[in-house]
Amino acid sequence: MIEVSDISKTLGDFELERINLSVNEGEYFCILGPTGSGKTILLEMIAGIYNPDIGSILINNFDVSSLLPKDRHISMVYQDFMLFPNMNVRENIGFGLKYTDLKLDKVSINSKIEETAEMLGISNLLDRHPSTLSGGEKQRTAIARAIITEPALLLLDEPLSALDSGTKGRLRQELLRIHQLKKTTTIHVTHSFEEAFTLADRIAIMHGGKIHQVGTPDEVFRKPNSKFVADFVGVENLFHGTSVIFNDLSEIKVNGHTIISSTRREGDVVISIRPEDILLSKDPIDSSARNSFTGVVSDVIRMKSTVKLVIDTGIPFRVVLTKRAYDDMGLSCGSEVYLTFKASATHLIC
Amino acid sequence: MQRNGFKYANLFLMLLLTLFIFTLILEIITHTDPVSLITNIISPEIQFAIRLSLLTSVISTFMCILIAIPVSYSLARYDFHGKAIINTVLDLPMALPPIVAGLGLLLIFGTTGVGSFLADAGLKFVFTVPGIIMAQFAVNISLMLRIMRSTFEGINPRYEHVAQTLGCTPFQAFIRTTLPLSKNGMIAGSVITWSRGIGEFGAVLMLAGATRMKTETLPIALYLNMSSGELDLAIAAATILILISGITLYLFERKGGVAKLY
Repeated sequence: MIEVSDISKTLGDFELERINLSVNEGEYFCILGPTGSGKTILLEMIAGIYNPDIGSILINNFDVSSLLPKDRHISMVYQDFMLFPNMNVRENIGFGLKYTDLKLDKVSINSKIEETAEMLGISNLLDRHPSTLSGGEKQRTAIARAIITEPALLLLDEPLSALDSGTKGRLRQELLRIHQLKKTTTIHVTHSFEEAFTLADRIAIMHGGKIHQVGTPDEVFRKPNSKFVADFVGVENLFHGTSVIFNDLSEIKVNGHTIISSTRREGDVVISIRPEDILLSKDPIDSSARNSFTGVVSDVIRMKSTVKLVIDTGIPFRVVLTKRAYDDMGLSCGSEVYLTFKASATHLIC
Repeated sequence: MQRNGFKYANLFLMLLLTLFIFTLILEIITHTDPVSLITNIISPEIQFAIRLSLLTSVISTFMCILIAIPVSYSLARYDFHGKAIINTVLDLPMALPPIVAGLGLLLIFGTTGVGSFLADAGLKFVFTVPGIIMAQFAVNISLMLRIMRSTFEGINPRYEHVAQTLGCTPFQAFIRTTLPLSKNGMIAGSVITWSRGIGEFGAVLMLAGATRMKTETLPIALYLNMSSGELDLAIAAATILILISGITLYLFERKGGVAKLY
């Protein structure tokens, strides 16, 4: 259990204001916010790299506010890997074992390194130098180095942001798997909805040095409590569902509706449909697109040059129109509309 | 045609300058014949000067490293009031003529309570070998600070953060990450500090004086022998100094990057 109470910090021009958070034992907690919202500083304060000006941090009911990072039983993974360039992969992973209270001998250190490397699929890289690794391999090494000490709290600072999209997806699965395996309490900072939505038990939305909302991904995505949160998370249509493969296509059941995707995968999935991929019409359209829904306009959000509509079909879809198109169609709250999008526009995130 | 004229004028000046520098070095080395040059180099006086120069410059370089690491680390990593002023003061010895720094040192150690206290404790700097070391240190520390500061600034502090979360104290984290990563900067800084220490004249002359076979470093040997008309001995001292410069330049080029600092 992690308890952050009333933390404030001024660092140069930047200010964190009265942050309160509590993270449950074994929980995967995401702090989601745009760049410059203070997420990293908050994480570094929990790690003990900076001390808060006021407020306290409790880890497992123990006040760690004035302790050095080494005495907090935490580990940290940064976006830019931070593998020690003067050590090979083995030495990097084993680094923390030299400083634990366990007083391990050489043999058990080595077997622990190999076991952890195995878990992350990097056993064959142990004698390599960090500079020869790919981004994904570097981050796997950094994660191995962080979890080998079996911390009470794992802090991840944008761990997937520096990776290409394919690697990102694979490593996201890996984080999920490791968390299921180890049940380490985790705080993961990110600016990506996808990451937060697919990984987190609960999410905190952070902006301008403040926490705006805390809740499960569904709560936050469905019931944003402020305009900022709505704008920030409202960009994508993200839904949980169960997928079965039928006729070479995935049929995903979401809240009683069936959405078709051309990406094939079975089981529990998260899907996303870009608002701009959805065609909005006042009459049904006869087309080759596989997905078609009837719904009612439930919210209209006017932006600078576009208008965002929330269409309730039983699932809340977000659709973006140009101002002109919106005016031409003469829509308003309560109008009945038809949504159409292709199977290829339905992305399976995981 | 006009473009070529411009090009050849530039190239001509470049060659002329190269020739000028080459000649002035060649002039020193070839002034005496090789046999008497070697005889003079192995003469007791020059041997003494070589040994004293090596000893004092190595010690003063170590002192520079030892002091520069914590001080430049502070400047690179901490924010505090008056940092700009402190920076300027610490840079001052680099801009100051060494002979002025030497005068300051002579006044500190020769006329103040601090000087007499240290002298009573057995640490005499005026007209002594420790004075040579002190003079070299005072003149060269700024350069070492600058090199180490920019070296530390080039190393991401997050290496230390990660090491701390993995169980290191702040000091251990520094020793395990930033310090080994600053190796190249430290070597480059040491080489240039050492070579400037060997060549230091003005500050050494003021504080340690120029006493034959006592505080006679290579530049002092060059100066004393020129004054007394012993041109051959002066040239022997100069030749060794040229040799050391050559070695320094070579080592510095090999450590690449850091040479950009100047």
